[in-house]
Amino acid sequence: MIATLRETCRQLLSDGKVDVVIGYGHDAAADGAEDAPVYPVFITKPEDAGRLVWNDRCHANLAVYLKHEEIRSLGRAAIIVKGCDQRSLVVLEKESQLDRSKIYVIGIACDGLDRPKCRTCDVHEPRGADVIIGHKAAGTGYPCAGGVPSANGTQGLPDTLPDDRYAELRAFLARPSAERLAYWRQELARCVKCYACRQVCPMCYCRRCIVDKNRPQIISTSATLKGNFAWHITRAFHLAGRCVGCEECSRACPMGIDLRLLNLSVAQAAEENFAFRAGDDPAAEPVIGSYAIQDKEDFIR
Amino acid sequence: MSESLSIAALGKLVDCWIAEGRHVTGPRRINGRLLYARLDSAADLDLTEDERPRNSIKQVLFPRHEELYGYKLGHKRIELTESETPIAEQIVVAARPCDAALGPILDHVFNWDYKDTQYNRRRELTTIVTLACRHHDAHCFCTSVGSAPDDPRGSDVMLHAMDEGILEVCCLTEKGSRLFAGRCDNLPSPSSGRGAGGEGISGDIANQPVLPLTPAISHRENGTAPPRRFDLDKVQEFLAQGFEDSRWPDLARRCLGCGACAYTCPTCHCFDIVDEGAGKEGVRARNWDACQFVPFTLHASGHNPRSRQNQRQRQRIYHKFRIYPEKFGPLLCTGCGNCTRNCPVGLGVAPVLAEIARNTP
Repeated sequence: MIATLRETCRQLLSDGKVDVVIGYGHDAAADGAEDAPVYPVFITKPEDAGRLVWNDRCHANLAVYLKHEEIRSLGRAAIIVKGCDQRSLVVLEKESQLDRSKIYVIGIACDGLDRPKCRTCDVHEPRGADVIIGHKAAGTGYPCAGGVPSANGTQGLPDTLPDDRYAELRAFLARPSAERLAYWRQELARCVKCYACRQVCPMCYCRRCIVDKNRPQIISTSATLKGNFAWHITRAFHLAGRCVGCEECSRACPMGIDLRLLNLSVAQAAEENFAFRAGDDPAAEPVIGSYAIQDKEDFIR
Repeated sequence: MSESLSIAALGKLVDCWIAEGRHVTGPRRINGRLLYARLDSAADLDLTEDERPRNSIKQVLFPRHEELYGYKLGHKRIELTESETPIAEQIVVAARPCDAALGPILDHVFNWDYKDTQYNRRRELTTIVTLACRHHDAHCFCTSVGSAPDDPRGSDVMLHAMDEGILEVCCLTEKGSRLFAGRCDNLPSPSSGRGAGGEGISGDIANQPVLPLTPAISHRENGTAPPRRFDLDKVQEFLAQGFEDSRWPDLARRCLGCGACAYTCPTCHCFDIVDEGAGKEGVRARNWDACQFVPFTLHASGHNPRSRQNQRQRQRIYHKFRIYPEKFGPLLCTGCGNCTRNCPVGLGVAPVLAEIARNTP
């Protein structure tokens, strides 16, 4: 699989189809070591395609780089995406943030990252890519249950059923509201406002984030309980119907705050009330960007 | 001269300190993650050695949000009210040496022209009990910046974990000695002798002279120290002329521009002053800030002298390895590796400097 990935990228660069491949790689000095750190790389020369890697530490949602001026200046890009990352491309395109025809999308089949592996994924094989590398293990497509060994011998995770997606959220919402508030007070009290959650997120592309606007200062910049609640609630709302659930914000948080629950909550509202999932259907109008007279509002409380 | 103490006895001591009204901070496991946090009791103290807390102890001396004074606008006059000066005694227990070193480093900044009352008061009230490292991970690089896993800089007490749950206690300052000397009744009396029953402090630490600082070489010799990641001389040689070097955009291209590196760094100390309040009344406060953020250098005119992310990364490296050392002497880096450990894309001091050193002849 890795050989195919490298060859595909080498070919794209040598044919001049793209100027840069945004992918995952090792340091040149890592010299192919198995446990070498993995991070985003920007390959511009065909001979450097060998630096590309693929393993279960390839977390980053590389779509975040498409908005960076420094990356745009490198020219026409090919981008390596997992199923979740590809959905963020759909949202960005719907929001006029990228021209899909000007990027080359290399989808890579992913049986879940991290330990434990991503639990709520149902796009182990990206859709809408120009090329797909690898394929999901037989029998793991939605709908199905139970993992089976995938081609590389690891335990492939099944695509989740709609019911599973919000299981964790439902369990949380079943707790009394005072308990839930106590949970968030305890969690958000740790936030130091490093904004890693914002910076890793492809959807946070505002040229000037509301917390950075200080005339007037709408949201307190202080990392106090008040300032932290204001920030995280604002961000969750701004991601309503837009968050694709790549979970990078939770992974990026140095203080270990599990922001997924907030995002899941708004995702569930969009799915249950508007039958809308961010990045799922390229033809669907964004739930926040469209209005119909029959739109429900009874979920607003 | 040193004494020994069992881990259980350290726990009892921690509970005593807390019972006496001190604020005790130490490594604590929260949601599976090891973080320095206030301890409610010794049971919260997590002495896992092969994992470094993902934040730093900076918060204890330099809180991320601190009220400086209150203000009230009246008719042609402004009334200022002093904010409360910190009064609680603070203890950090099981700090890593790369955290403990932050005191002497921050002291320069907060006493350079203006003597910062609140910082100095906190510093006075804080005692740092350090646990020397016997383990390191892939991100540790203290030995690359002239430090070591048992570097005593900034520590009031140094604990060395021995086998079988025994800690060797070396009091390095008067403040440290006071903390361990006969402060708890439920510990065996000094006369019970060294290591009796594996419990309690042996010997009368209060009467021991303050120890001279010894060069930290033992860990390097027995191989538990992290390997050197870069040649500091080469790095500083490069920085002396490398400000405009064409490699900076490549070195920092993947930087996403968050402040995870700066906010978990023991030594990053930039802050922002904000007024918070409604209308004519409020407080002036000091919040952490980071050079990686776009608004950090944004002028009122709209001009930004550091308009690109690689310039902001370069600034962070220069501040740590050239600007601060030129002004105050020591490096503004203790080699803790938190910048890389917490970076969503694996950047940080060591990877950048290793790359620089590799390409500097």
